[in-house]
Amino acid sequence: MVQFVIRRLIAMLLTMFAISFVAFAIIQLPPGDYLTTYIASLAATGEQVDPRVIENLRQQYGLGEPYLVQYFKWISGIVVGNFGQSFEWKRPVSELIWGRLGNSILLEGIAVIVMWFIALPIGIYAAVRKYSLGDYLATVVGFVGLAVPNFLFALLLMYLSFIWFGQTLGGLYSQGLENAPWSLAKLWDFLSHAWVPVLVLATAGTAELIRILRANLLDELKKPYVTTARAKGLAEWRVILKYPVRLALNPLISTIGWLLPALISGSVIVSVVMNLPTAGPMLLRSLTTQDMYLAGAIILLLSILTVIGTLISDILLAWIDPRIRYGDK
Amino acid sequence: MRHDASLGRSLGKSLGGLRLAGTVALTALLVGAGPALAQNQAPALEALVASGDLPPLEERLPADPLVVEAPSVGTYGGTWRMGMRGGGDNGLIVKTVAYEGLVRFDHEWKNVIPNLAESWEANAEATEYTFHLRKGVKWSDGTPFTTADIGFAVEIYQDPDYPASSWIDNANNPVHFEAIDDYSFTFKFDKPNGMLMDQMASVDGIHITSLQKAYCGQFHPKYNPNAAADAEAKGFSSWALYLQDRCAWGWETIRFSNPDLPTLYAWVIDQPLTANASHVTWNRNPYYWKVDTDGNQLPYIDHLDMRVSESIEELTLLALNGEIDFQERHIATNVNKPLFYDGQEAGDYHLGTVVPSASNTLVLQLNLNHDDPVKRALYQDKNFRIGISEAIDRQEIVDVVFTGQGQPYQVAPRPQSPFYDEELATQYTQFDPEDAIKHLEAAGLTETNGDGIRLMSDGSPAKITVDVISALRPEWIDILEIMQLQLASVGVQIEVNSMDRTLFYEKRPSNDFDAQIWAGDGGLEVVQEPRYYFPFSDESAWAYRWAQWFQGLRPEIAEEPADWAKQQMELYNQIRSSSDPEERSTLMKQILEITKEQFPVIGVSLMPDSYSIIKNNLANAPETMFNAWLFPTPSPMDPATWYFK
Repeated sequence: MVQFVIRRLIAMLLTMFAISFVAFAIIQLPPGDYLTTYIASLAATGEQVDPRVIENLRQQYGLGEPYLVQYFKWISGIVVGNFGQSFEWKRPVSELIWGRLGNSILLEGIAVIVMWFIALPIGIYAAVRKYSLGDYLATVVGFVGLAVPNFLFALLLMYLSFIWFGQTLGGLYSQGLENAPWSLAKLWDFLSHAWVPVLVLATAGTAELIRILRANLLDELKKPYVTTARAKGLAEWRVILKYPVRLALNPLISTIGWLLPALISGSVIVSVVMNLPTAGPMLLRSLTTQDMYLAGAIILLLSILTVIGTLISDILLAWIDPRIRYGDK
Repeated sequence: MRHDASLGRSLGKSLGGLRLAGTVALTALLVGAGPALAQNQAPALEALVASGDLPPLEERLPADPLVVEAPSVGTYGGTWRMGMRGGGDNGLIVKTVAYEGLVRFDHEWKNVIPNLAESWEANAEATEYTFHLRKGVKWSDGTPFTTADIGFAVEIYQDPDYPASSWIDNANNPVHFEAIDDYSFTFKFDKPNGMLMDQMASVDGIHITSLQKAYCGQFHPKYNPNAAADAEAKGFSSWALYLQDRCAWGWETIRFSNPDLPTLYAWVIDQPLTANASHVTWNRNPYYWKVDTDGNQLPYIDHLDMRVSESIEELTLLALNGEIDFQERHIATNVNKPLFYDGQEAGDYHLGTVVPSASNTLVLQLNLNHDDPVKRALYQDKNFRIGISEAIDRQEIVDVVFTGQGQPYQVAPRPQSPFYDEELATQYTQFDPEDAIKHLEAAGLTETNGDGIRLMSDGSPAKITVDVISALRPEWIDILEIMQLQLASVGVQIEVNSMDRTLFYEKRPSNDFDAQIWAGDGGLEVVQEPRYYFPFSDESAWAYRWAQWFQGLRPEIAEEPADWAKQQMELYNQIRSSSDPEERSTLMKQILEITKEQFPVIGVSLMPDSYSIIKNNLANAPETMFNAWLFPTPSPMDPATWYFK
């Protein structure tokens, strides 16, 4: 087991290095750089900049240098915790992203928990009571949840809340509380804002989870060991929870690693529509303005989260499923 | 230096107290509502004066404050709520608070009127301008605004190590500054600069008043020998970057990230614009130097609250819900108009008229400087452009895309402009496919291939790839798709090439495009923005190389223009050197005559009027206003005089 974890860790480090290289290449791929985007956006509002200013700025930012030099500067800064400067905000990237990344992880974390809490019981119920009214209901709701794009659901909720309650949903905190330290009042304020995005983010995932769990469980329920357990007189709930559900969870655990990045990238549009102070809109904005160190840092951190998530799911899998652990030896 | 810094700090402290008191006073106002009596200053400030935290009003106001006329004298208080879009939306701030130059435009965008400068004279050659500043104007930190600050701004803009740029350091004709005394100074130019006053009254004029010497000087090595070390201590690699961070010029985004920066605006920053800000808020500037006709200090409105939102949907809902007091930017789209119209009663607002400065919804700019000699010859042939123009059924586009708003129009001054010329505006706009075909044939496109596409002189089909940034204006794609069908029926193929704006701009210097699409800027600001009337700037994509010849900044990609364009450039240079408005206007009309004769770019329809959301209890706000960048509305409409009934 220890050896297994160590090997995974080494693979993780190498992957991270590869990711950083690719991430930096990707943000450099679009034509032009931050400054050309800057000129273009100024021109769109009718403003103009002197080419000499741009030349001067380009030198200051070191944008004219070759790719490898830029990459090396970037990565050697990151090793000591310096993610570089955001061109747009003229601030260190590390100053900008942590708050937003924190909001993202908090929001997505709650969404994941909500998702599991709703999906697991419903999925189990739908499998055990196959083709009952409840199963059909869960199926219908599940498919609707899968089919409706998140952002549309968010827009709908915003519109309904405006029509019915005269309230504009948006943001995560009320004015005045966003910069306040955490307190009960702020927590309450956060929850009263956060339930909408959490609901939106959780629906699609919930539906998917219900379907997967139901299908897996249906396979397991037919197996002889379940019949044996029943024949031996085990309580029904115990029969189901102790063995088939545990096995049915396997595919769910192996995808934990993808959950976080999928939620963050999937929530970009939701976050933009609902004006949430999460990493999504910042990533989108930094990509469109080619604010490359900011975009690079977010992409890199997301990738690292994915890699860590994968590591966690590997370890979890090895832990709950001996076949994987022993197969490794 | 040290003295100034400590002064700034103590004033900062008293401003902090002011903020607190302001909130308290606002609540008091809201609770104990009722008509305020004729006052000289806001109650919040009165309390501060009484407690000794602020000098009395007489000491804060100039001896001769600028009197702003407004339809009615207002009362103090309230918060003006509006929506802004996080990064890249410094334009909203500029257009709302930062328009405080030496001079300004009147509401009709006709005359240049005094602002921070009380008066000015120019010599006949337009090479020397003398300005007299309003005596006793103070920065928001309470220190006097003098010619030293103007001189400092000129110096900083002209510093080769500092990347600020504007007309002040224009390579072709830079400003030379000479102070006469604390309140009078002269700008001298090597070459005549007849358009200086128009430029200084436009948004460009705020450059010269954007830097306070006392505060910003402390980051420059000339005034602080330790500037470089200070910058390093703060984590900046050079003093220029630190200076930029603290004292960004003009309207740079980060200028509004520093609440300590002294300004001359009606409101001063409370919550600054940062990457994570959800609101940018402003409090009244106790040292603002304008008064109403009764002598009450402006502004009337206590606070500004800019909701930072990436979400246009959220802003739209906020406006519908009556949570936005005045706004045009971002939300006033064509699509939203019925929604906002229907929501007026529920949201307790009404719609004002906004006249755009752009003349045209879509300008088709064929690349007259194309590298391919066949295409170049074809695009330069006026018959070809007439043929294209007459093959477009503009009324159909107006009806389908703009629900009937607007009318067929070429790229020409708007009807509101003194340069309006009906013939220029409407020539070749009639839909006449037969005549179009005649003109196309006259341009040499007589043969067609099996698909019915006409063949150019080298035998290849006449296909125009049109570059467009669809993200900027979604209706461009709608218009182009209709044009595509219409032009196909006369045998010209259009390929719509939607792309990102960066690539769009990179294709200009590399001369790698057939045609580009943009809106018709210059419908009202005809003299200042003649990009479609002759090859004027980098924005004249239809003759980019010729424009380089005119600008002279990048000779390596410049190309000698056609004679008619050279003649226009000559006329424009005369405009620049003339100090007589009448003469300038005559010369501009001559340029437009040549434009009419040459017909370089093709327009579609007159840009329809837009609208603003005006809360019903907001008084003195304009029911009709222009919208432009050079005339940065709503600022020229004096928001300092708006108030809540």
